Amino acid sequence: METNTKILAAEFQYLEGQDLDQVLAWLAEYREKARILAGGTDLLVKMKLGHVQPEYIIYIKKIAALNYIQYDTGNLKIGATTTLSQIERHETIKGYYSALYEAVRSMAAVAVKNMGTIGGNLGNASPAADTAPPLLVYDASLKIASKEGVREIPITEYFVGPGKSVLAPNELLLEISIPEIEADTGSSFLKLGRVAADIAKINVAVCLKRSGRTCTSCRIAFGSVAPIPMRVREAESLLEGKELTEDLITLAARAGAAEIKPITDNRSTREYRLKVSRVILEEALRAAWQRAGGAL
Amino acid sequence: MSFQVIGKVLPRKDGIAKVCGQEVYPSDIVVPNMLYGVTLRSPYPHAEILSIDTAAAEAMGAIVVTPDDVPDVIYNERTVSIPEKTYRDRRVLPRRARHVGEAIVAVAAETEELAFRAMRAIKVEYKVLPPVLDLDKAMDPGAAPLYEEIYLGDDKIEVRNNIACERIITVGDPEAGFAKADHIVEREYELPRVYHHQMETKTAVCRPEPNGGITVWATTQTIHNVRQLLGHIFGIPLSKVNVKKLAIGGSFGSSIQMNSIIPICVALALKARRPVKMVSSREDDIYDHAKFPARIRLKVGVKKDGTIVAADMRVMVDIGAHQINAYPLLGCMAGWYASLYKWRDFYYEGRAIYTNKVPACAMQGYGNPQVNFAVESHMDIIAEECGFDPVEFRLKNYVGIGDEFWGQGPTVKSIIKSCGVEEMLRKGAEMIGWANRRPHHEKSGRYRRGIGVARGFHTSGTGGPKPGEVIDYSSATIKINEDGTVDVMTPVMDLGGGTGEAAVKVVAEVLKVPYERVELSPVDTKTTGYDVCTHATRGVYCGCGAVYHVAQQVKTKLLEFAGRILEENPENLELAYEEEKNVSIVHVKGFKQKQITIGEVAKLAQIYSWGTIAATDSLRQKNCPPCFVAHFIEVEVDTWTGIVKIPRAILLSDTGTPINPDMVAGQLIGSLSRGMGYALYEETEYDLATGKLKCNGFITDNKIPTSCEMPYIDDIQVYFAHTYEPTGPFGAKGIGEAALNSVASAVANAIYNAIGIRFYRTPITPEKILQALEGGGKVGN
Ligand SMILES: Cc1cc2nc3c(=O)[nH]c(=O)nc-3n(C[C@H](O)[C@H](O)[C@H](O)COP(=O)(O)OP(=O)(O)OC[C@H]3O[C@@H](n4cnc5c(N)ncnc54)[C@H](O)[C@@H]3O)c2cc1C
Repeated sequence: METNTKILAAEFQYLEGQDLDQVLAWLAEYREKARILAGGTDLLVKMKLGHVQPEYIIYIKKIAALNYIQYDTGNLKIGATTTLSQIERHETIKGYYSALYEAVRSMAAVAVKNMGTIGGNLGNASPAADTAPPLLVYDASLKIASKEGVREIPITEYFVGPGKSVLAPNELLLEISIPEIEADTGSSFLKLGRVAADIAKINVAVCLKRSGRTCTSCRIAFGSVAPIPMRVREAESLLEGKELTEDLITLAARAGAAEIKPITDNRSTREYRLKVSRVILEEALRAAWQRAGGAL
Repeated sequence: MSFQVIGKVLPRKDGIAKVCGQEVYPSDIVVPNMLYGVTLRSPYPHAEILSIDTAAAEAMGAIVVTPDDVPDVIYNERTVSIPEKTYRDRRVLPRRARHVGEAIVAVAAETEELAFRAMRAIKVEYKVLPPVLDLDKAMDPGAAPLYEEIYLGDDKIEVRNNIACERIITVGDPEAGFAKADHIVEREYELPRVYHHQMETKTAVCRPEPNGGITVWATTQTIHNVRQLLGHIFGIPLSKVNVKKLAIGGSFGSSIQMNSIIPICVALALKARRPVKMVSSREDDIYDHAKFPARIRLKVGVKKDGTIVAADMRVMVDIGAHQINAYPLLGCMAGWYASLYKWRDFYYEGRAIYTNKVPACAMQGYGNPQVNFAVESHMDIIAEECGFDPVEFRLKNYVGIGDEFWGQGPTVKSIIKSCGVEEMLRKGAEMIGWANRRPHHEKSGRYRRGIGVARGFHTSGTGGPKPGEVIDYSSATIKINEDGTVDVMTPVMDLGGGTGEAAVKVVAEVLKVPYERVELSPVDTKTTGYDVCTHATRGVYCGCGAVYHVAQQVKTKLLEFAGRILEENPENLELAYEEEKNVSIVHVKGFKQKQITIGEVAKLAQIYSWGTIAATDSLRQKNCPPCFVAHFIEVEVDTWTGIVKIPRAILLSDTGTPINPDMVAGQLIGSLSRGMGYALYEETEYDLATGKLKCNGFITDNKIPTSCEMPYIDDIQVYFAHTYEPTGPFGAKGIGEAALNSVASAVANAIYNAIGIRFYRTPITPEKILQALEGGGKVGN
């Protein structure tokens, strides 16, 4: 036992970014030796455990230009250092982006949400990250910057493996942008943990569009049941263009559960995840359908 | 009975300080010129320490203490039992590591960070030994021995097959008893290791004094036992060892023994010749203690009419790497079993086994929740198999008024003089709607509800008519100040349950002084007489029993002085509280006009140089009355996800007179949460390949239920039985441990009533429920 979670034992240089250019310049210079610090609710834990020992810590929360929630022309744009609490309290998100709202509401406890940021949740790239499934089903895209310039990628291309993303060591996540939510669209998020305040055993998000009794489009994403948060495309295609019935929901949920690749870990077992992902997907589909104005 | 303050809801004496963050806990102590200490802990479950290279750490300016630097004293950190019944197997720092996380080397430096870095610079050469991690293999002849020899009292004894200690008890003729039975039920139950999860981790601060002594501020449930043990280990006269009484951030039993870091801190301070402070991290703490797990095989014989005729219980306890209180535990488990129902002829066999795991120790209930789970599950199984109503079957066989109660194993017994069992079972049944409870086979659908009952008790202290294997008495000093206010000096630790307020109320009631005019004094071991420990639910019954005893002596002195002033015979005087004037007076019996305030008596006694109205004394309680509880709990099982919710809980207690009724309710409700954890969530599992905890010592992966998992407060009902314990202060018994003892049993019985599956092990997780439902319902056995 060589840990002591009260102590940050390794020495590092603490850099406080005042503007974006400065941060990007530091990232370009220090690359792998540096880590971005936002709320620190993931990073500091890892540093105390000795799992990461950066030589440079670049604090980004002082940069006002990274903290915003913008909602115009129907698009939702969230700056990377926006805290989970800010998102939870945002009326538009609460009203229209139910899956994202429910995901953030389900996370941690107040203190952690006051510190933790959406950029950090993605930056940490945990397979269980609660904001990942909603962002996947909203088809969000991510704006990423480096000294060389800015690129934008769909979130489906972002996650690579447990704790791994496509972010290069010199890159900074700037913004999460979510396309307009059209009329007759409904979304939902569900999560099971060991207790209420917990990292997910399983989480799932659904976003679907309705036309009459037909589900015209549907996106489903699971978390904590595979190396990365994942869309389950077979289940989605079973629903798309079909009249939504209880039977179809059951069928799609079964298909969705067949696509995941869970493991047994401290939080749950592979068998449990396989069985119960079907149950919570059914519920998430029903909730999203109802929010889209559909009846069953 | 009508009281002035007893039974009233009044503000806690430490309430304002706690709410404002001003209460002083050991971790708040700062002493000028102090160093900070940390420990290096074993990464191996079993390893001999060949060498320790401290040069690099010392070059960084650190003070290092290795096993070579500590006194060669083998002790047991818990000194509640009498010496000849105390097993001793440990030193301050060991020469052989016996569990992952055992402290091996300690380091102190100017900052905690520097100490930590110096600690990492120490090189330890280990000879890794085969570990014993599986209870089933621990007693194999080929299993690696944890100890060759240990001590029992002054005798050196050999350890065979890793059996730490055992107890075998036969009452009557069990074989003949079973021969009379019409029906015999036998099952095996298993209760897990869990972590105490008290809010505050352990702190020790030690300041060496110029006279060669030490002053210690530490997390503990017993300042006096810590003092005596430190004096013994370090060879310091007790008059030079002072241990301060401070607030404690919860304990659940984890500080009955002297915490492992306390003597380590003392060793560092003595070597450094400077004060040292150590605050254990959460992972240090999770690797320091756990609740005793238990495997219990139970066989019970009944007659057709529901009379129990015989029982047989065999217990195996995986105690981990040290004996803290395994031997008394085995005795207590026998007692909890013997005192639940009238088995008539019965057998008990308990065995404690050493393994290379974190040492287990008392945790709320001390073997009682384990025994209760087995017995109360068993009672339901028998009731179902024989067609008895579970409530009536319990009422027919319970141990109650006039029966013998084993308060602390086979040597501490007394006769039950107050008992609310029948009242609670009848009332609880009515409150939950027992008459409308349907059997599990009539239930279907995704969500299924069930109702479960279980009853239990705990002892109130470990007193008895005869001295037993455990020490039990307490002391108090009380004085009336010159303005009629009162100072109370009690060494009894308040673990958060309100023992301090109870002491104040007892004094206020005896002396008829308003609650706000009585205060607790800051004390330490130098200013108080001995108190054994706040354990065994003895705080109110024994601790405040002593306070009551001393308050009576103060009252006698007060009346005597008042008699001199009023020129009356003290026997002709009595005390009264005058509400309108908010004063306490001494007056002539039946003639209030002739009166004097208590303050005036005290002031005149000073002016006339008669002396202070004060007394100091000790008291041993001659009984160990059971505080009974009953739990009626409703569960809702989601058969698709295996998640169990508790929509309703009825918590009934018989604490005699509830001195602090709000805090009795608090104990019951808090224990519902802990009992839910025990039933549904908690277990500190081991990786059997590495000997490490699967949670790695982090609470992230050691979940306990929080307020989010609790039923809504409106769905929890608390009921107090109407009893009066004739031997307790103002009729009071205890509650702390009792409150927990039958929670998990009631939850498991309710789950059975919901889905027809009997769980023989806890925690009953969603994973296990789904697995059982898929497997058609057979679990365990
Ligand atoms: C008690 C507790 C409970 C928790 N519960 C949950 C939960 O229920 N669900 C859940 O999903 N998570 C949970 N978490 C994890 C954590 O709180 C979240 O992931 C949070 O969103 C992290 O944000 P942060 O700002 O604190 O990240 P930080 O710790 O500051 O950063 C995390 C990682 O992302 C990188 N990073 C941060 N910002 C950027 C950026 N703009 N560009 C590039 N990289 C960046 C950092 O370098 C670091 O590697 C919990 C944590 C704790 C301590």
